[in-house]
Amino acid sequence: MRTIKVLNLVPGMVLGQDILFPQTGATLVSAGTKLTVELIRRIEAFGIKEVMIAQSDKSRQEVKEEELIPVMTEYHNRAINTAEEIISGSSEQPIEEGVVKELVSELLEQVDLDSDLMLNLSHLKSYDNYLFSHCVNVSILSILIGESLGYSSEELNLIGTAALVHDLGMMKVPNKIWKKNDVLTPEELTLIKNHPVYGGEMLKDFPEEVVSIVKEHHERFDGSGYPQGLKGDDIAFKARIIGLADVYDACISNRPYRSKLTPQQALQIIFQDKDKFDPHILKVFISVMAIYPIGSLVQLSTGEIARVVRVNKYQPFRPIMEILFDRNGNKLEPALRIDLDDDKNNMIHIKHNLSPEEHNSILEKLGAAF
Amino acid sequence: MINPFLAASFKVLKSLGNEKTKKGELGLASSPVKGDEVNATVGITGDLLGQVIFCMSQQTASAVASTMLLGLPITTFDELAKSAICEFSNIVTGNAITELGDKGQFCNLTPPTLFVGKDVLLSTKDLGFLVIPLKTGFGDIKIYIALREADK
Repeated sequence: MRTIKVLNLVPGMVLGQDILFPQTGATLVSAGTKLTVELIRRIEAFGIKEVMIAQSDKSRQEVKEEELIPVMTEYHNRAINTAEEIISGSSEQPIEEGVVKELVSELLEQVDLDSDLMLNLSHLKSYDNYLFSHCVNVSILSILIGESLGYSSEELNLIGTAALVHDLGMMKVPNKIWKKNDVLTPEELTLIKNHPVYGGEMLKDFPEEVVSIVKEHHERFDGSGYPQGLKGDDIAFKARIIGLADVYDACISNRPYRSKLTPQQALQIIFQDKDKFDPHILKVFISVMAIYPIGSLVQLSTGEIARVVRVNKYQPFRPIMEILFDRNGNKLEPALRIDLDDDKNNMIHIKHNLSPEEHNSILEKLGAAF
Repeated sequence: MINPFLAASFKVLKSLGNEKTKKGELGLASSPVKGDEVNATVGITGDLLGQVIFCMSQQTASAVASTMLLGLPITTFDELAKSAICEFSNIVTGNAITELGDKGQFCNLTPPTLFVGKDVLLSTKDLGFLVIPLKTGFGDIKIYIALREADK
């Protein structure tokens, strides 16, 4: 059993304890009840903030994905809005650790619920405001890498927090510089290169460890990073994780100077620059992302077009996918789910990853679906 | 029977950026044959029954795996590299089986199994092997094929 905020309840979760009417103490919903959208609304309407739910793993199996998608999309959007309030607000008054922690604990709950769906959300939408969605996505990715490293929930909270505010220093860099799609002047470059330091300075109330992670998130394992040019073990371990997550998410996002890359191109870039990253973390990262990361659009050997929706840790070439278009280009509705690791699909393989142009045109065709 | 495998190997190696694959002299080998450092075997069932075995040195396997893994350098031949060789063998065999199907022999394949280590002996129940030696940009790859028609 664990406590969960009513805001984060999802249909299918099972109540671990009776919910009582705040005024009278009579039972509103009893323990063991499987929550529905309707019930969650009612609980919310009574002004109840937190409830106890039964084991998350069990409830996860009972939650249907199609019910989860809209709910988690909403969480993700809300997380980005909250990140915006926190980060934008930091220019007026010092940022409070408590507010960030609260958002991170919500992110942790969502990752716990369905990390694959969270990863899917990171690139199915193109957000107008890169900085805030980027901070949320890097936080999610860093938490996932931390989980694979066996981090405790305290450590996950810490890395999630540091990741959420890693680019805070960008607020000190004039908007026109980091939105510039032209070559930067030396002065502008210095400003950009100092953003990790500015960020660290803005986190006066935060634990020392968070501050040093933020200051070092642009350092690279081979010493090619900035601003200090630290190398190897001199860089905080969690800063190395966030540095990798940062590069990946930046690659799969639209930037002023280039449009977004496909997940596989992002991996390729990271592999080309492999010396910049801690080999141990890189290995864990590959096991989390696999070779066709979530969100990849691929052509199958059957000619069909599919999107990777879940990766298989043990079979990085054999993910679970949704077939979106048949071999003649006709859209399948609903999409057909296929597990390449299933014995009946032995004959099917991923032929190739689609190009960025194909990615974009397919995402456009899918439109409202995501 | 050997041509679909030859065509499939060339096609897959080409898709991995390997234009200059050359085939050596096709041959027969009686069972058992000595494998190489990395051996991936794929079972075939259906109208044809048997095994296809891909044998290569660890260096060659690392080069194949690295390309399959988007250029990730392979320093140790780990699980990731192994899964890449399995997928490579699966794709080649899958392509060959598709072509066999076009010719009216319908088959399926079983997931590849990998044997790593020197002095592996490969045996087949009742036949010898057809051997396709390939000289590729990754290094030498030998494909041993032991297939017979299933009893109708």
